[in-house]
Amino acid sequence: MTQEEKCYLWLTACTKLDYGERVALLNAAENPALLFREFEKFSKTVLKEDRNGLYISDVSAREKEVNALSERLERKNRFAVTMASSDYPEGLRHVFEPPHVLYGKGNRELLKREKFCIVGSRITPPWAEQAGRKFAEEIADKFVIVTGIAEGGDSAAISGAFESGNIICVLPCGLDDCYPASQVALKEKIARKGLLLSEFPFQERVHKGSFHARNRILAGLAKGVLVISAGCRSGTLITANCALDSGKDVFVFPYNLGVKQGEGCNNLVKTGAFLVTEAEDILSFYGYTAVKKQAVVLGREETLVMEILSQSGELHAAVIAERAGLQVFEAAATLSSLELKGLVTKSGGNKYSAL
Amino acid sequence: MVSKIICYALNGLDGVPVEVETDVNKGVPQYEMVGLPDTAVKESKERVRSALKNSGLLFPINKITINFAPADLKKEGASFDLAVAISLLKASEQLVGADLNGIVFLGELALGGELRPVSGLLPILISAKGHGYRKFIIPAANAKEASFMGGAEIYPAHSLTEVVKHLVGVEKIPPLQTEEFVVSVRTAGKKSSADLKYVKGQPVARRALEIAVAGGHNLLMVGPPGTGKTMLARCLPTVMPDLTFDEALEITKIHSVAGMLGDEGIVGVRPFRTPHHTATTVSMCGGGNRIVHPGEISLAHGGVLFLDELPEYKRSTLEALRQPLEDGCISVSRAGGTFTYPSRFMLCASMNPCPCGNYGSAERTCSCTASEIRRYRKKVSGPLLDRIDLQVEVDNITYDELTSAEEGESSAAVKERVNGARRIQHARFKDCGINTNAEMGERELSTFCTLSREGDDILRATFEKLHLSARARSRIVKVARTIADLDSSDRILPKHVYEAVSYRIYDKMD
Repeated sequence: MTQEEKCYLWLTACTKLDYGERVALLNAAENPALLFREFEKFSKTVLKEDRNGLYISDVSAREKEVNALSERLERKNRFAVTMASSDYPEGLRHVFEPPHVLYGKGNRELLKREKFCIVGSRITPPWAEQAGRKFAEEIADKFVIVTGIAEGGDSAAISGAFESGNIICVLPCGLDDCYPASQVALKEKIARKGLLLSEFPFQERVHKGSFHARNRILAGLAKGVLVISAGCRSGTLITANCALDSGKDVFVFPYNLGVKQGEGCNNLVKTGAFLVTEAEDILSFYGYTAVKKQAVVLGREETLVMEILSQSGELHAAVIAERAGLQVFEAAATLSSLELKGLVTKSGGNKYSAL
Repeated sequence: MVSKIICYALNGLDGVPVEVETDVNKGVPQYEMVGLPDTAVKESKERVRSALKNSGLLFPINKITINFAPADLKKEGASFDLAVAISLLKASEQLVGADLNGIVFLGELALGGELRPVSGLLPILISAKGHGYRKFIIPAANAKEASFMGGAEIYPAHSLTEVVKHLVGVEKIPPLQTEEFVVSVRTAGKKSSADLKYVKGQPVARRALEIAVAGGHNLLMVGPPGTGKTMLARCLPTVMPDLTFDEALEITKIHSVAGMLGDEGIVGVRPFRTPHHTATTVSMCGGGNRIVHPGEISLAHGGVLFLDELPEYKRSTLEALRQPLEDGCISVSRAGGTFTYPSRFMLCASMNPCPCGNYGSAERTCSCTASEIRRYRKKVSGPLLDRIDLQVEVDNITYDELTSAEEGESSAAVKERVNGARRIQHARFKDCGINTNAEMGERELSTFCTLSREGDDILRATFEKLHLSARARSRIVKVARTIADLDSSDRILPKHVYEAVSYRIYDKMD
């Protein structure tokens, strides 16, 4: 570990200095290595009087503290990425208050790859979840998918990308905790196959600001953000706004008028976000070509039902049956075979829509 | 002189013969009852005394000892009154020349000497007939119920005087005519107002209902409030196959024991029981102090047990349903002994899709998060859901959306198809000791439900794609079998499997 890295680690994890104080110290010293070596000197001039007396120690004591911390991290199979590390994500430097240190558990290699963020609110319509899953699966081919760990939209992105292992989840809490608690099993799975990131090495409860802070990291890590669902005051919009602020591209799913879970998405379109209908829209935006999947062979009734569904959005099974001239139970059988082929998705109330 | 009279006590659904022995001796006037009589039996003394006096008969002023044999069986209720009175008359030599051999006396006495009806008469008659008794004297108010048992001389009497006159041969009571159990009986009386033709829309749920009845499957309906779940459930008995006489008799026995028999004397329509969600385990499964009374699940025997708002029921109450659902009977143990009642019912449950109730609703949007919905659904345990083969969503689709909306099919038309499917199953399972597809075990599944290669592929794909639990497999196959039966197809075709998969909404969730 270099002196610079040690400096960042010590400042964030071993002191109780706030972000502003850390920045002031770093600016005064110009070089983090120098700051680490001669902290006493800078603290006296930079910090307020009641704070500068707190950390009177010499460089060897600081070394000891940092070594103890990194040993503890290692024991727990975790690592720290500091602003001085070679694999510190470049995009992160451009967000508001870029984190001095990020802690990770899992596949560190993923940090070096190109990343794309997919987020959605906790209440996401079933079709959007299905589509989000499909998008994540296809985009994970070229990018590492970055998302949160909440239910709904985030979970959809995770389940799509998980198989490929190209998945990074940024936690709002410490690496020891899990919020929401129901996702503990998922969190462990991601640590084994993908990568978990957090600003906090061990325990840290979530509070009101945690999600806001986490969302700026999501936006900072990724090249672009896809919002699969967002109400008009949804937290996903924070991620989207952070992305816009730091010059990232924002993509959204289209929503019908009057659908609450999509008001935020439509507002984003109004302000200039890209509307996407298939994963290829995103991949080709970045100059990739999507791998064409083999066309599925459909029967006569299946083709008919697909045609009906592609003409209008969500339809009730009985309406589909009526338009296709089938009995309701015949339509149910056809729809469930299409569902198995991944072409339609079922939402509540016996309604179906094409993907 | 000692007299012996036969009457019957109830033990569960079986009648147990009880001998009433009376000895009238010279001595200080005294009235003693032995042989474990309970309070109601002991109090018969006063009823008998008044009834005798008011019928113009003598209550002997002697030392009277009455014994109920067998002595170790607890005797409950007032149905021994008539036997005690007759026994007393016989012992005090007031019934000269009467032949009381082989006659079973049943009935409660009023102070004026009239006979009051007793509950559980039919099961007693059936047991007694099995024990070889052929002559019965019963309260006239129970006549209707008794008339469905053939092969016995049954004399319905209105009062003690009539009984005495009959016994001494002064005025014979005409024996009861055995009634034929015919369709007219079944449909007479309170006619069920439910009919599928009054159910608006609901094409998906209708179909599920038909499959459920055809294969004897249990059914769970999930839907927002006010979509007609209860209405649909009420139609279930109307599409179920007609009761056979034996079934009707068995159901009547249970209702008779519970004292819930109406004026018709026999339960001719399939029961539809809707216990409220505050029901206790005891009220559901049966219970009581010493004698166990049948619970809701036994009263629903042969019919439908409808549990509205399933997650609101107490967990323990729901878990208690698992064994009866499996075995078709329930054994309840109490201090008085262990009682077994039949409980082969169709379980139909309904619930909201989420705590706010609007998930999947056309008009309102749901405000629940995924974890809230999951927590709500977790209230119903997996093992119970395991026993529910069909899970269907009931939606509130409006009529305007269906332009060619025809009036719904009537229950009779659906029943026709159900009967057809049941006939196929009857022929298939004639050597297996089961009646319906739902009852199939592993052995029957492998014999009768072999899937084509294509069907097997579909199932495998289903598992991978929809994350179905392993136990869902056999249920899908059973339902697919029933769908094939409704289609009159001896093989299970891919379309049947696909349709069956669409009725597993809950397995897709977890």
